[in-house]
Amino acid sequence: MERIQSITQAYSQTPWRKQVQLIGIFLLVLVASALVAGVYLNVTARTNELGREIQEMQVHIYGYYDLLGDEADPEDIVPIEELEQNIANLRTQLAYLTSYQVMAARARDLGLEPVDPEDIVYLEIAGYAPPEFVVLAPPPQPVVVSAAGLDPAFRESLFDWVGIQIRETLKYFNGVTP
Amino acid sequence: MRSNRRYPVDAIGRFNMAIGVEPAESTRPAVEQDHIAAPGRLIFMGIIFAIISLLIIVQLARLQLSPQAQVIVNDDLSSVYHIFYPPRGEIYDHWGRLLAGNIMVYEIGAQVAYVDSPKTIAFALTKVLANHQEYNNPGYTSAQYQADIEAELLAAIESGRPYVPLADFVTEEELGQLKVWASTYESMPQVKDDDGEPASLAGLLYRPRLQRVYPEGGLVSNVLGFVDRLGQGYYGIEGRYNDLLAGTPQPTWFPLDPNRVNEIPEIDPGSDLVLTLDREMQAAVMDILEEALDDTGASSGTVVVMDPNNGEILAMVSLPLVEMKPYWETDSGRTENTPYNRAVSQDYEPGSVFKVLTMASALDAGAVTPDTVFHDTGSISIGGITIHNWDYGAWGEQTMQGCLQHSLNVCLTWVAMELGAADFYSYLQDFGFGRLTGIDLAFETAGRLKLPGDNDWYEADLGTNSFGQGIAVTPIQMIMAISAVANGRGEMVMPHILHSMVRDGSQYTPLAQVVGRPISAETAQILTEMLSNSLEHESSVALVPGYRVAGKTGTAEIAGPSGYTSNETNASFVGWGPVGEPRFLVYVWLEKPESSPWGSVVAAPVFRDVFARLVILADIPPDETRMSIENP
Repeated sequence: MERIQSITQAYSQTPWRKQVQLIGIFLLVLVASALVAGVYLNVTARTNELGREIQEMQVHIYGYYDLLGDEADPEDIVPIEELEQNIANLRTQLAYLTSYQVMAARARDLGLEPVDPEDIVYLEIAGYAPPEFVVLAPPPQPVVVSAAGLDPAFRESLFDWVGIQIRETLKYFNGVTP
Repeated sequence: MRSNRRYPVDAIGRFNMAIGVEPAESTRPAVEQDHIAAPGRLIFMGIIFAIISLLIIVQLARLQLSPQAQVIVNDDLSSVYHIFYPPRGEIYDHWGRLLAGNIMVYEIGAQVAYVDSPKTIAFALTKVLANHQEYNNPGYTSAQYQADIEAELLAAIESGRPYVPLADFVTEEELGQLKVWASTYESMPQVKDDDGEPASLAGLLYRPRLQRVYPEGGLVSNVLGFVDRLGQGYYGIEGRYNDLLAGTPQPTWFPLDPNRVNEIPEIDPGSDLVLTLDREMQAAVMDILEEALDDTGASSGTVVVMDPNNGEILAMVSLPLVEMKPYWETDSGRTENTPYNRAVSQDYEPGSVFKVLTMASALDAGAVTPDTVFHDTGSISIGGITIHNWDYGAWGEQTMQGCLQHSLNVCLTWVAMELGAADFYSYLQDFGFGRLTGIDLAFETAGRLKLPGDNDWYEADLGTNSFGQGIAVTPIQMIMAISAVANGRGEMVMPHILHSMVRDGSQYTPLAQVVGRPISAETAQILTEMLSNSLEHESSVALVPGYRVAGKTGTAEIAGPSGYTSNETNASFVGWGPVGEPRFLVYVWLEKPESSPWGSVVAAPVFRDVFARLVILADIPPDETRMSIENP
């Protein structure tokens, strides 16, 4: 015991040991700092890189294009908002082409004119259904609260639950699949 | 590297003694050298690590203090504000024809960091957009526009703003021209701008977006209203349903710091609306009304067509159309101080068409019956004034049908007196006068119904109100009130233009609303019969061959600063049919007709022409054909 103490004491009092300690502590701090900074820099760089990619994608989703030519590639995934814009644009162009003024002019050009009431012959057609209002979408589905859709816990009594558990257990042991 | 430093011998000796090693003279230098060498290597390693660490820290500091980082750190420039406007909902007519849609236009802006030549950008934009309506304003020269763009770009470069918008509402053609300019500059790098920089449109971006347009032009403009450049709807459907159509814009801040990147919000598009209007009927009514204004010289005309069974407005035309300012002038959107849609926003004294309601009230209350006889002496006194007939004549004994047929003011005044002021005004209130009908159009006016007890009500008003003078009503109020008669049920239906709304993939259709039952069904049917007979007996020009219709003319003098004038009138007609299976209730109002002041002369033919077109467009066979089909 005494010997160990003397070794410890001698070791701690070794002159070069003090310098090693100082250098070691300094290096430890330095390496630890560098390690943390390096990891931070690495993670931050990767995060930023991904963030920039997201931002660039967002810019694309905003619909910004370079005038010098990064047109939307048809092969690219076009944001749904832009698709909707294109559809709305085409629908409106079609409406212009079929507007009352245009259609009336086309009818006039074809030599058509408004019918005289006396020239109209009405025929009775069995089963004819007059046109209804335009349907652009289905009507909303009624919200039906069905007991079958509820969690079993809200429908079963305690006895039901015990019975089910017993049956399930028996099936398990008998190897019977439901 | 070996250190020349020597350690005290006694210290080394103590260490050796402690570990039980006898120091040997021959080995001492080796031990000493190993122990002395260790710090040297460590220092070497320390320096290496220190250099690496310093490099890392310097790199961190460099990144943190870089100008780009300063942009991110700066509060003013750390984020980009962007409002996501959902596509505005579309508006369709009865059959799904697009009345209000959206077309692609472009916003042009500059990504400041990539701009090489602000002068070239300003020059190109000015040249391409020289004739663009938004920038081609009187007094705003191309030179000014060019200077403004250049100044805006330079300011953005100086402040570090990442993006600056430069033009909006740019058309497809204009964008195409800009692209040609851009590619031309790219192919000629030798071209320099005034600053000696290579002329280039680098940095210019464009972004497509939707702008409201109306493919039918002015055909339904008085019903639809309009949308300004900021997307705000005014008047008509656009104003009334702006919240539904516009959806919910999503304002979002997007940080430039990639570590704080935000999600793009989900944007629900505005709801699409399906109107009760029928484009073909609207066009037919507009054609007829335009012709009527030409023929009669009336200063304005209004025609409303409603299905009296459910209140659906099938056509609504008010001419002349209000002249609109261009959409980018947001001040008022209008250039005249006239109502946008007279059918809902302009009240007037309707004249004798109001007798329908006076008679309906009296019949329903039992004050008179169709066979009640009135001896017309040509005048009647009430509240200190004397009321005369339209021709100042005495028509002798007349039944109630005769009173309506000849539109006798004296008779109807007597009817109102028989009914009594309390009941008369109670009925008028039940018919909805003095308050809004609730039609789904912006800027409806309630008119004015003076009531007994009001400071400005006099007993004479009972007489004048009975034949539609001294009361201010709108055409839409009249049509709603008379719907109780026209549908034969005595039920007053709320006029409405919205048929259904499409939202989240479902089409919602509100039910038609009955807003009152001012008279009984029996009264409605009796009165319809009386009015139909009246038209037939007087061989009115309102009669439509093949179809039995009911109706009433109206001619009202116009009150001016010096009292009523008889040379300027409001000529009206209200009619419905086919009697028995009413499908259309038509209200006609011509303001200040010049060819004739009488409603029977100028307004009744408009009703006839409109009704004749409506039955064709709606595939309604003549009465005889219908009867033969129903009772073979």
